[in-house]
Amino acid sequence: MTSTHAAILEMRDIEKHFGSVIALAGVSIEVFRGECHCLLGDNGAGKSTFIKTMSGVHQPTAGEILFEGHPMHFDDPRDAIEAGIATVYQDLAMIPLMSVSRNFFMGNEPQKRIGPIKFFDHATANQVTMAEMRRMGINLRGPDQAVGTLSGGERQTVAIARAVHFGAKVLILDEPTSALGVRQTANVLATIDKVRKNDIAVVFITHNVRHALAVGDRFTVLNRGKTLGTAQRGQITPDELQEMMAGGQELVALEDSLGGTV
Amino acid sequence: MKAFVKSVALTAMVAALPLVAAGTAQAEGERYVLVSHAPDSDSWWNTIKNAIALAGDQMDVEVEYRNPPTGDLADMARIIEQAAASDPDGIITTLSDPDVLSGPIRAATDSGVDVIIINSGTAEQARDVGALMYVGQPEYDAGHAAGLRAAEDGITSFLCVNHYISSPSSTERCQGFADGLGVDLGDQMIDAGQDPAEIRNRVLAYLNANPDTDAILTLGPVSADPTLLALDENGLAGAIYFGTFDLGDNIVEGIRDGVIAWAIDQQPFLQAYLPVIVLANYHRYGVLPGNNINSGPGFVTADGLELVEQFAGEYR
Amino acid sequence: MSESSAAATPVQDERVKEISGFRKALIRPELGSIVGVVAVFTFFILTAADSGMFNSQGIMNWSTVSAQFMIIAVGACMLMIAGEFDLSVGSMIGFAGMSIAIFSVTLAWPVWLAICLTFALCVAIGALNGYIVIKTGLPSFIVTLAALFILRGLTIYFPQAIERRTIIGGIDDAAAGDWLAPLFGGEIFQGFFVWLADNGLIATFERGTRAGEPVVDGIPMLIVWAIGLVIFGHVLLTRTRYGNWIFASGGDARAARYVGVPVSRVKFSMFMFTAFCACVFATCQVMEFGSAGADRGLLKEFEAIIAVVIGGALLTGGYGSVIGAALGALIFGVVQQGLFFAGVESSLFRVFLGVILLFAVILNTAVRRVITGER
Repeated sequence: MTSTHAAILEMRDIEKHFGSVIALAGVSIEVFRGECHCLLGDNGAGKSTFIKTMSGVHQPTAGEILFEGHPMHFDDPRDAIEAGIATVYQDLAMIPLMSVSRNFFMGNEPQKRIGPIKFFDHATANQVTMAEMRRMGINLRGPDQAVGTLSGGERQTVAIARAVHFGAKVLILDEPTSALGVRQTANVLATIDKVRKNDIAVVFITHNVRHALAVGDRFTVLNRGKTLGTAQRGQITPDELQEMMAGGQELVALEDSLGGTV
Repeated sequence: MKAFVKSVALTAMVAALPLVAAGTAQAEGERYVLVSHAPDSDSWWNTIKNAIALAGDQMDVEVEYRNPPTGDLADMARIIEQAAASDPDGIITTLSDPDVLSGPIRAATDSGVDVIIINSGTAEQARDVGALMYVGQPEYDAGHAAGLRAAEDGITSFLCVNHYISSPSSTERCQGFADGLGVDLGDQMIDAGQDPAEIRNRVLAYLNANPDTDAILTLGPVSADPTLLALDENGLAGAIYFGTFDLGDNIVEGIRDGVIAWAIDQQPFLQAYLPVIVLANYHRYGVLPGNNINSGPGFVTADGLELVEQFAGEYR
Repeated sequence: MSESSAAATPVQDERVKEISGFRKALIRPELGSIVGVVAVFTFFILTAADSGMFNSQGIMNWSTVSAQFMIIAVGACMLMIAGEFDLSVGSMIGFAGMSIAIFSVTLAWPVWLAICLTFALCVAIGALNGYIVIKTGLPSFIVTLAALFILRGLTIYFPQAIERRTIIGGIDDAAAGDWLAPLFGGEIFQGFFVWLADNGLIATFERGTRAGEPVVDGIPMLIVWAIGLVIFGHVLLTRTRYGNWIFASGGDARAARYVGVPVSRVKFSMFMFTAFCACVFATCQVMEFGSAGADRGLLKEFEAIIAVVIGGALLTGGYGSVIGAALGALIFGVVQQGLFFAGVESSLFRVFLGVILLFAVILNTAVRRVITGER
């Protein structure tokens, strides 16, 4: 899986300082097409800062980003999106008051020309939205249904479908399962699996080891702004992952007293 | 959802109530509409409201009082157009800006409504828009008369507290006063605003900065009342020469206490009362006075305050 | 996914309840204002039918007042959907009128130049408002409140400093023969109204210099502008990419930025558009009345916002309709003028306004709950 072809996205020794606070102290990972790369870490480990650097929201203080083998510099999210790096944030970047189809095409509206004026092509937008949603296994009442009426899992799916539709080569998912119930989590994980099979690289950020192990191909653990290395699927046990995330012995002790359920 | 429907129904009922209650009181007889330029907050116009109501009762005609809530003259033009569309027997209106108001008033007279101009405006302007007559006090002349009077009392500088800077007639009062004194108006007029506390503070500030000011001229109760407070505060009450336009409770008291030398009374009562009487008699018997009526200026001083005191703010 | 399967009946999820037609209608932003328009007209037809409210003069009267509200409501509506407020609309109206007066009367420049310069000036001030809001991140409420005072103060100061008075007249003389002025102060379809009068369908003047002419002699350009701006706003908002960006910017600016919507540019342009609308209002008013006064447009910003809220827009942004705002303006204008025809004490208009505003806000909040599924 790993070295048959070059990494699509490579982050080398990324550092990010906010004033005197060092959020990232040299983080490196490689992401390949068709894999689900899980980025694990506790709250405050630097996951959010890292993916924001990857998606162009932050510029790294030091380090290098290589995309398809070329060094890249993203000034803003738009640059990253154009290169093919799409991010689905924890809070979704969906607007509840707007319809699914308006949300789906937000920022990429299809247009048709009538005379000298370009109009929003609602017919195309609605048709594509319905088709893409069905492909992801969601039945909408109609394309004008407001996003606010969808469940959390469905919203994640809309956001993922949107990113894939607009040609994402790397899809970054920021804690997509953290606020979901069991059944909705299963749906989202199934969606991740579908996306990966389309030869898209998925970067899956989570602090839930079981969710990571369910779909992940490789696992990178972040702790206090540093990586603790990348492991292949099958080379690491859930307990080891959990321990690396906690970065110490305290949790092991706690885990023992709770009977291994954390 | 149920609670929501309930709240909707309740709100609708509340909305409908005052409309039903107010829509019923309608008398027989001629109908006259008085349109003023004063914002809702100007208490001076109470006298006008009371006077037309009294005239309406006495003549058994239906009278209405209308004004633009914020004093916006463009809104007032719409109110005149609207009054004309409702086909009344007569319209009584002020003419505070001929540019804005002469069109609608002209249209009203042309469509057969009789108009009398009151308060702001001049006799000549009233004739130009086709009105029957003008009832009021020529503003510049009133200011000028007051200026002459003050000049006799030895005044050479003054402060004009203008609480209605956007009305040209207010400025004319100050200008007339300055011309009567024979001095240049210059910076002696301040834009005081309508808020009592602000007016008081601005008067205090001006008098601090210009301690050699001889006199103060206020343009009505709105500016006179806070000015009285300001003079109490800086101890100039009674020491500085104080004249004002118009009457009100505090102004009357000020005259009695000797703080205010005189008040120019334009007798607003007559401005509202007489047009109704004139119009009603004109419509019933075809009689019409041959001239314009000057309701003022009359100077109210400490002599003969009794009736003024009794009816201040109501009919005076 | 092939075309044929896309056209086939979609498989229904048993968990998705069929939405009722009523519920679907309820979440249209215009619904409340449509009901309001029907209610208001029913009320006045019942109580004021024979008072002159529905003769030609009466109709023209409330149409003109409603059209005024519409012009500023369109701008306020789009800006509110984009998530911002402009409280300086009323002062802008006074300022724009005074600016035209000073350029054309005091400086005696041609009226078309005065109008063009004033539009440029107003749009630039709108842009400045937008720039400050976007750059500082301060609430637009505060920034435009400052603009409200600054503009009103300048509107009083300049004419006083230059002309020693606060109302400048004589613009109609200056505008005589100007090519641009009739676009704001003129009227259209005069021939039609003469025809109506000739056939006894509308009243004519009984006396004076205009005896025999119809009392209503044309559709004022004010109304044409109002209709034009409403159509423009509605098409822009619902039928273009930019409209989607306006909704997105107001719905959630951060989310919109994440997907590449140029939120700052959208808000910036909406501030400019609002200022443009205020300037249209002022120019029409100045050209109709021939003078500019320092107190013109007082409180108009609130009237615009009230019309927009009655029209179903959410104060929090991201939701609303230009058609709704136009209907809100119609309700506002008809009620304001109609209460007079119905013989209701005019101070009660404010009571009515407060009640209808409260009612509209309650309705809008309920609608939002239905849309977003909040409980």
